[in-house]
Amino acid sequence: MISTSDRHYTRRDTVLFLTCLGLSLFGLFSPETWGHGVADTLRETVLSPLVWLQTRAEEGRTSRVRFRQVTSERDSTAYLSQFLPSLRAENERLRQLLRLSRRLNTGYVPAEVLHQPQAMDGRTLLLSAGSRQGVAVFNPVVAPEGLIGMVSSVSGKSSVAMSWAHPEFRVSAFTVSGNAFGVVAPSNEGRNGEGALEFRGVPYRDSVPLGTLVLSSGLGGVFPKGIPVGTVIGTVREEAGWERVYRLRPAANPGSAAHVLVLVGTPQGRDLAGGFPSDSLLEALRLDSIARLQRADSVVQAARAARAARRDSLQRADSVQAARAARAARRDSLQRASPIQGTSSGAAPVSQDSAQ
Amino acid sequence: MSSNRVSRVQLLLVMILLVVLQFYVRPRLWDVRISPDFLLIAMMLFAMRSSPGLAALAGFAVGLIADTLTPARFGAGALAHTLVAYLASWGRAVFFADNMLVNAGFVAVGLWLRDFIVLMASGTDHRQMLTELIFYSPLQALTTAGFALLVLITFRSMFSVRLDA
Repeated sequence: MISTSDRHYTRRDTVLFLTCLGLSLFGLFSPETWGHGVADTLRETVLSPLVWLQTRAEEGRTSRVRFRQVTSERDSTAYLSQFLPSLRAENERLRQLLRLSRRLNTGYVPAEVLHQPQAMDGRTLLLSAGSRQGVAVFNPVVAPEGLIGMVSSVSGKSSVAMSWAHPEFRVSAFTVSGNAFGVVAPSNEGRNGEGALEFRGVPYRDSVPLGTLVLSSGLGGVFPKGIPVGTVIGTVREEAGWERVYRLRPAANPGSAAHVLVLVGTPQGRDLAGGFPSDSLLEALRLDSIARLQRADSVVQAARAARAARRDSLQRADSVQAARAARAARRDSLQRASPIQGTSSGAAPVSQDSAQ
Repeated sequence: MSSNRVSRVQLLLVMILLVVLQFYVRPRLWDVRISPDFLLIAMMLFAMRSSPGLAALAGFAVGLIADTLTPARFGAGALAHTLVAYLASWGRAVFFADNMLVNAGFVAVGLWLRDFIVLMASGTDHRQMLTELIFYSPLQALTTAGFALLVLITFRSMFSVRLDA
């Protein structure tokens, strides 16, 4: 049998339980705004230390996460910044290629140069465009700066280009001023490990000044006319008084070219010089225009001199005729004066004629 | 000061420690959904050592805290914790739960029951409720029971006290 104290104890528990249960059910079924109001009040007052504690914990956790995130972002940024100069350079080259492709008045196929980690990489280049893109053997390969080489073999999706550094490479060329023709070939005497070109077969009488731009001549049918090949930087040798060989600094470097254009379907005789407005070319054009102006000036001066000479000759002719007329008149007056000597009547007309 | 009173003070300190763990350490742990519920451990350990009325009151207080700090429907937590604490207090008398493993089992069952009542009272859709009750609640019950066992082993002498005596 349950004692009085035990019954009281049980009753108190039951009352507490029912009260708590009732309050819980009241909270559960009361309007939502009431529940929110009570929760807000409790959060702001009694539970504020617990909320503060949890906020600090969340901050600690998220700050750790944020720190890791910031650290990884910083590392990524540092890693990416290492590539920034090369990206800028690549961007600039692509811009140049875009400008070049706009200026070229011929068909072309853009290609990436797939450089290989080998010593002979600069001689032959693997290009990312092949016969499916329209590339064929002997197509010229150019960079924005000038000639790179020509395609030597083609597969479906890739091709191999022989650059100007290849020992078998030759291109017929002429100076931008047009006064010297020759053949450009790779030089065996590259300075500081850099490749160089030789401009061979230039007649001894045709001297080429330093800094002259050498362009492809279009002879031979492989390379179109007007692609910059190199700039004259010196004389290599003179062959027995009939030929000079000049050293050229190549216009384009195959070792650093990342993107190139393969020229396809270029008609024979088309001049591509307008697509490569290098400094030397511009200078040559400027000099050419000055020469043309000077020639025009000389023609004008000659015409002016001729006009002046004509005017002089006319004036001279006039004065001669006047002198001749005066002499004739005097002769007449003398002839007329001799038969009527001593009479005054005939003197008046003579004097009138001479006056006229 | 009597030894019983000292034990009560020590028990209170352990409860405060659990509260601090709940609000300062738990957010830093791994997935919150399966990390131990320190507040429920405190409530269950208290309920199993006190009278059903006091247990119900403690459950109501813990539930109110849960309702205030969690976005579940207001009142659902209070109802669930009140019922679980009250049943835990009665269950201790029924099962003579002086064994630590039985205590830990009580905690695990209490947590799962608490989740069940909260989900039912909150009007959760069936798929989510099944996922919670089959996957997350058992996992959290396991971790919570494990930590409760650790607390009981560590503070064995303090939890030998009977608060309703």
